[in-house]
Amino acid sequence: MHERLSFFVKRDSALHPLNPLTKIVLALGIILVSIFSPWYWTSHVLLLVVIVPLVFIGKVATEYFTSALRLILPAAGFIFFMQAFFQPIGQTVIFNFWFLDITQESLLFAFRIATRITVMISAFTLFLLTTHPSELMSDLTRRGLPPQFAYVIISTLQILPQMQAKAQTIIAAQRSRGLDTESTFFKRIGSVVPLVSPLVFGSLVEVEERAIAIEARGFTSKKAKTSLYEISDRSSDKFIRWGLVIFVIISIVLKLWLS
Amino acid sequence: MFEKIKKDFTTMTWVLIPVAIAINIAIGQIVVLLKLPVFLDSIGTVLVGIVAGPWAGALTGALSNTIWGLFNPDSLPWWPVAFFIGLVAGLCANAGLFKNWWKVILSGFLIALTAAIVSTPISVYLYGGITASGSSFITAYLLQTGQGVLSAVLSTGFLVEPVDKITTAMLAFVIVQGLSKRLVARFPRPENAEVESGNNTTQIIIALVVVVVVVALGFVVRNMLAG
Amino acid sequence: MAFINLNNVTYKYPLTKTPALQNINLQVNEGEFVAIVGPNGAGKSTLCYTLAGFVPHFFKGEISGTVEVAGIDSSKSTLDKWVLNVGLAFQNPFNQISGAKYTVFEEIAFGLENTGVPRDEMKPRVEEAMKLTDISNLADRSPYSLSGGQQQRVALTSILVMRPKLLVLDEPTSQMDPIGTREVFGVIRKMAEGGMTVVMVEHKMEWIANFADRVVALKDGQVLMEGKPNEVLTSELLVENGFGVSRYTSTAREAKKQGLWKKEKLPVTLDEAVEGFKK
Repeated sequence: MHERLSFFVKRDSALHPLNPLTKIVLALGIILVSIFSPWYWTSHVLLLVVIVPLVFIGKVATEYFTSALRLILPAAGFIFFMQAFFQPIGQTVIFNFWFLDITQESLLFAFRIATRITVMISAFTLFLLTTHPSELMSDLTRRGLPPQFAYVIISTLQILPQMQAKAQTIIAAQRSRGLDTESTFFKRIGSVVPLVSPLVFGSLVEVEERAIAIEARGFTSKKAKTSLYEISDRSSDKFIRWGLVIFVIISIVLKLWLS
Repeated sequence: MFEKIKKDFTTMTWVLIPVAIAINIAIGQIVVLLKLPVFLDSIGTVLVGIVAGPWAGALTGALSNTIWGLFNPDSLPWWPVAFFIGLVAGLCANAGLFKNWWKVILSGFLIALTAAIVSTPISVYLYGGITASGSSFITAYLLQTGQGVLSAVLSTGFLVEPVDKITTAMLAFVIVQGLSKRLVARFPRPENAEVESGNNTTQIIIALVVVVVVVALGFVVRNMLAG
Repeated sequence: MAFINLNNVTYKYPLTKTPALQNINLQVNEGEFVAIVGPNGAGKSTLCYTLAGFVPHFFKGEISGTVEVAGIDSSKSTLDKWVLNVGLAFQNPFNQISGAKYTVFEEIAFGLENTGVPRDEMKPRVEEAMKLTDISNLADRSPYSLSGGQQQRVALTSILVMRPKLLVLDEPTSQMDPIGTREVFGVIRKMAEGGMTVVMVEHKMEWIANFADRVVALKDGQVLMEGKPNEVLTSELLVENGFGVSRYTSTAREAKKQGLWKKEKLPVTLDEAVEGFKK
């Protein structure tokens, strides 16, 4: 598990210095076009012609393909099989198992859905690999997102790994005290409470002091907030963003028109 | 209206939300490890709904799925479901449905209905009804018997969700009752967690018994379906 | 008029029956360094929270009497304005990490960002504060990766950088070694000499005697006695009321019973003890 739930890798690429909002719009644009475009091969083309080249431009190919193997392929693969087996569409049966038929149509449908999922996750991964969370949050705050959101998101990203580490410790401790997480149903139910309560109550009790600490540092100050870092937003950023918005609109219009 | 919502977002609420998200995810993972027939990945969301109201609950849910999406991308599209779980939990709490154990069952049931309804369009549109969740076996079975996608997905939801959400609501209730009154009083809506009658130890014990019974029921149903 | 003016303050937390503070009267001058001592449950932390505005604004509950800092009445102010004048750092360093930042440098700038300090001013102020507490070398580290003592320094720096007029510290050195403690007390002393008023809860009696101007002893929410450090910290009254005293004081007290301590006054610090035993 990652030390801090941040995928960001620092590189000197053409993608990194883009404004964070541009990179979000890019990811969302790709995702929306792949959902709305009526053309069967849209997602496949997006993956090969847009995402893969961008991964190389962003100099994050190693990281992208590692996470593709670890996260994306299993998710997409699972969905492919579920769809291929369970979609009750089409007549051209290729393969039959129990009450389930695999048809040519269900295979095609499965391929499309699985690729769409791959595109969605890939676009998101690309964005995360090239954008530092605090840069993203500073930029969004500057654009009017309430600063408390920045606090919540970054704070969650930092608490989560600690919580998971504690969960691992608790599981190990309970096991060593003879609490079997792999035994009968009632034993497993019984093991939930001692597993979880120290974790939950411990972290909830801390909430009060942590609230005091950030209040003491002006968290609720009504003055206009400033930011330590300046985040660039060039005219090329705006150009890319509007271009993407137009693409999304075109694919939605096409979708509505053709259906 | 806006001012009223703002009142629920105190610093305590802002600090609680990340903790609640971490609780969602940590408990969700432990439950997977224990191979229980429930998800229990929204206890934190319901908890926020109880002590800080519907909008704080909704925000916790939506952010929880978005952030968990970094690890498990499949959870990302379901954020509207989590949003409504938090919202309905908060509305139930404001209506006094978290004040004793049997009302919590009702809350859990209402949350389950919401979850089933909100997840249906996502499941149908994005996945054609067959998602990565284990319960999709039921949907697939219903589809093969000739049911339409919409009704198959919805029926699956109505079948699966109550066990999970009643357990979730019960456990969130137990946690809130287990916290010191002093701490609960710091949150924007401590009155939502005040036990109506009897003392809270009795309530906690009954609630835990209900949890065991409901999960056992879910277990039996799952084994029947699998067998 | 005094910089801090507590007038007959009595306070009860919500859902409690006994008051945590009872009829507290306390005046502190600008630039004074006052230490608060007392056994557990004496109301030390509550007093800190009162000075820092969290009682009653954050904790609610019932308060009577008046709390004035820098001429402003706490009951007529709000917490978000109050914290601009009064800084608070407390014992548990882990809970003082904001969680909103990835590096120590950003963590220290957090308070400045919140209170709208311009960017050009922010960087030099953070650098200066880090130099003061000697943590410049930690600038790029994650606040979560630090030791307890280092985290306490970061917590203190995060408050100092905001340049409060009153600094309220609740056992800020509990996880530091003696060298770290001495350094931090030195920094706080320097701040007081620069005009910052300091109120600090502390168990380490030797350090109080070395650095503080005045000591206030609390018990059961009331002021038991106050005065010069070596008067208060060697008083029989403290021993009778179950206060901890410095090991030098208790050693010399035993020695005095045996006739080995000749001086009238008992020591608090090592230096005083060494000097006293020499005679």
